[in-house]
Amino acid sequence: MKPLDIIVCVKLVPKPEEVTVNAETRTLDRAKARSALNPPDMNAIEMALGLRERHGGTVSLLSMGPPFAAPYLQVGLAMGADHAYLLSDRLLGGADTLPTSLALAKGIAKIGEWDLVLCGEESSDGATGQVPQGIAEWLGCSQITYAMDLSFLPDGRLRGEREIRGGHEVVAVPLPAVVSVKLAVNEPRFMDMERRRNPEAVTIWSAADLGVDPKWLGFEGSPTVVGAVWQAKSPERQRQFLDGTPQEKARLLAEQIRRML
Amino acid sequence: MIPSAYSPEEARGLWVFLEQEAGRLEGVALELLGKGRELAQARGVPLTGLLLGQGVEPAAREAIAHGADDVVVADDPLLAVYTTDAYASVAAQVILDRKPETLLLGATPNGRDLAGRLAVRLRTGLTADCTGLAWEEGTGLLLGEVSGFGGGVMASIKCARHRPQMATVRPGIFPPPSADPDRAGRMEFVPVSLDAAKIRTEILERVRHEGVDITRAKVLVAGGRGVKGDFAPLTEIARLLGGEVGASRVACDLGWIGRDRQIGQTGFVTRPKVALVCGISGATQFTVGVKDAGLIIAINSDPEASIFEEADLCVVDDLFPVLEALIAELRGAA
Amino acid sequence: MSEAGVRVLDDLVWDEVTAATQGAAAPCFQCGVCTAVCPWGLVQKEPVNVRRLIRLAQLGTDGWGEAIWLCTTCGLCEARCPRGVPVSEIILALRRLAWDRRAVPKGLPSMLWAIHWDGNPLDQPPSQREAWAKGLNLEPFTPEHELLFYVGCTGAYDRRTQKIARSLVTLLRAARVRFGIFPDEPCCGESIRTVGQEEYLAEVVAANTERFKAAGVRKLVTVSPHCLDMFRSHYPPWDGFRPLHYTEYLDQLVSDGSLRFKRELRGTVAYHDPCYLGRRHGIYDAPRRLLAAIPGLTLVELPAAREDALCCGGGGGRMWLETHAGERFGDLRIREAEGTGVEWLATACPFCVLCLEDSAKVLGVERPRVVDVTELAVRALGEASS
Repeated sequence: MKPLDIIVCVKLVPKPEEVTVNAETRTLDRAKARSALNPPDMNAIEMALGLRERHGGTVSLLSMGPPFAAPYLQVGLAMGADHAYLLSDRLLGGADTLPTSLALAKGIAKIGEWDLVLCGEESSDGATGQVPQGIAEWLGCSQITYAMDLSFLPDGRLRGEREIRGGHEVVAVPLPAVVSVKLAVNEPRFMDMERRRNPEAVTIWSAADLGVDPKWLGFEGSPTVVGAVWQAKSPERQRQFLDGTPQEKARLLAEQIRRML
Repeated sequence: MIPSAYSPEEARGLWVFLEQEAGRLEGVALELLGKGRELAQARGVPLTGLLLGQGVEPAAREAIAHGADDVVVADDPLLAVYTTDAYASVAAQVILDRKPETLLLGATPNGRDLAGRLAVRLRTGLTADCTGLAWEEGTGLLLGEVSGFGGGVMASIKCARHRPQMATVRPGIFPPPSADPDRAGRMEFVPVSLDAAKIRTEILERVRHEGVDITRAKVLVAGGRGVKGDFAPLTEIARLLGGEVGASRVACDLGWIGRDRQIGQTGFVTRPKVALVCGISGATQFTVGVKDAGLIIAINSDPEASIFEEADLCVVDDLFPVLEALIAELRGAA
Repeated sequence: MSEAGVRVLDDLVWDEVTAATQGAAAPCFQCGVCTAVCPWGLVQKEPVNVRRLIRLAQLGTDGWGEAIWLCTTCGLCEARCPRGVPVSEIILALRRLAWDRRAVPKGLPSMLWAIHWDGNPLDQPPSQREAWAKGLNLEPFTPEHELLFYVGCTGAYDRRTQKIARSLVTLLRAARVRFGIFPDEPCCGESIRTVGQEEYLAEVVAANTERFKAAGVRKLVTVSPHCLDMFRSHYPPWDGFRPLHYTEYLDQLVSDGSLRFKRELRGTVAYHDPCYLGRRHGIYDAPRRLLAAIPGLTLVELPAAREDALCCGGGGGRMWLETHAGERFGDLRIREAEGTGVEWLATACPFCVLCLEDSAKVLGVERPRVVDVTELAVRALGEASS
């Protein structure tokens, strides 16, 4: 098999548990939230590096985000990725999944040679899980979503094990292909500190570099709009603490359970 | 703005995609029919089911019994099993032809695989993994309620000018409607002209893990880190109560139990009548998956565990003695 | 090792191993005392063949296998070694090579990522780091403070050991010590060091040193002996920097009269020496003097005490790896303490408290109760705690 050129799409996300909603302005308060690479994207990077170990080739990272995302891409470079590209431009901000997948597809095309695009299954902030399929459609190639494992068949097709409702299936698709990788299917390797000390520069592209009508990008290119934002609240529960021995507690529980059924 | 394939003025009707497996409608398809019926009625539009598959006529009838006014059926051997290429191609063609105003799909792996692909092909907006649906007052636009940031933040999203306004809906959110076998509806078979050579995905193997669907369990006995790998007493309680065993993400991460039993944000959202939550601290990641349970019982040795904030009955105690006593109680009654 | 027991010397491996271990294995004359005393021999059929690991390091060959990850760096073998071989350091060097070969146990890369993204190895949100001090109104550290209270990751996040940190706050306040906590306190890096990630450790230590220096940190008191070991032995010293374990500091406060135990606490207590306090830093007497200063309390020595103390099993990165039931050193230690008939088994390390308490729970042992020295001391204060 010929060496593989793999592009991994990654996203910088705020730590989810530290984002709150400002009750007065009804907007997101991300001020205190640290950022990290989106967890399933880390699994996608690991999967790409594993494939490169087996088949040779290159691993490039591609992200869309603010300029401060660059050092985070360097984390991926320190893990072993060869190159990193960041699409960063005010015109790209506020994008929903349609312009996001378009911008990333254009970025992938601009990188040039590629056989395989890997993405995390969804981002921990927006959690739509629709971008990988969108990229595949813009690029007109085959897709495997919710992949747990990837390998190659003797005929050169990509073999993927993917999740389906209540089970899994094994599929084969021709390259080029876009794959979304399920969270926690592998353990991302830690950074190689020598690579970390000598970080490769991240290539930064603006919206103009993508050669797309800017009206198709960012907030302006997004068909959907966010109406209201609010903090999730769980319904009030009784919070009744039971006393007694385990046997006494179990008797009360059994009674209450029977009442419900 | 990316131009829409058709305009709001041309668009008509509420459609739901009817995911099926081996000719039987999936649970989420029934849930969509139930909610779709309610939404269609409120807006005074027909509810149309979009059904792709092979030999799915009985499923179309099932859909009508569950609330569909019409079912558009594409029946073809190449649609027997879901593949992105075949389903996206047929669905896109029917939609461009018939111009529905709204299209709902289940947020299952295949539902999302299709929705994301279709939304770009149709150049429209998609609200993903909704936990609530409503029509916006005044505009009549579909408002999709979604959660993000680990379930801590909610938002409502709408699609103003692009059609169809698409949304995927999380399984287990809406109750399935009861069937009315005498309900009248129209079935319409559309011609399918698929080229096998253009279907790039080949299914090599398919494994359904039969028997486990925690989203439908009446009783869920859920275990987390605190069960220390021993799910035996939980399984026994689930058996005695006719329920299922579920687990927190940590328990699945540790390999103690399969992912198909994972409750929560990254697992399944469940709505059991009773959730018995054992040795789970109660991170938001987990609690969003049981928040609609009728009765939540939490057993944890840590009195400060946050699960107690979300529980009706709280037992601060070592887990296993309580579970053993509960097994004895339940057995005694049987 | 091959079937015939023949090892082929590979020049590259030789270079690597000797560079990593810096010849530390050279003095070993293969007497095997290390293997004989290693606590793993008490819980597994086959002891960990420490002698062989050192021999492989001497020869500059690999093939050390999984055994290097069992070491809790308890230092019992080092205390007995007639040649003064730094066994733990050699094992950490071999672990470092294992990272280069990506032959590390599952879970350890995730632990390092948790430190990288969240600043703690427990995979907890950074915004919750000060949750342990809720309601205590602690001051952020300034150079005017007498000392920096360094709570550490386990003290900050673990529900059980948060109580130790809060007890220590009560004691310091009772002695009218002015102290501050570090805003956005960083992880000291102990878990990075003990899993052998020396290079990442260097980055963390350099960053922390800069922050502590810039903040004017001099006297620093740790809850955990593991953090103490880091600051005392693995951070570059700076002018006036004086890391102390809380037992040392409280001992001073008792001896100069600023801390007094007024209430009688009738009962018997045995003290479990944490490896990183005792064997690593020779702090055996301060915790014992503290316990002895509590009126009514009788200190009983465990059969294996001081230099001979058995490890709880939590050091050397083992807190982040699963130890199978029945193979936990803590079980043996609990049985040992049970045999003395004491009411309390006191110790002075969050890892020890967690491991010993876990063993007591699994064994169903209710007496002795595992406590931290601070927890007994607070009860002896005889005044309303803050």
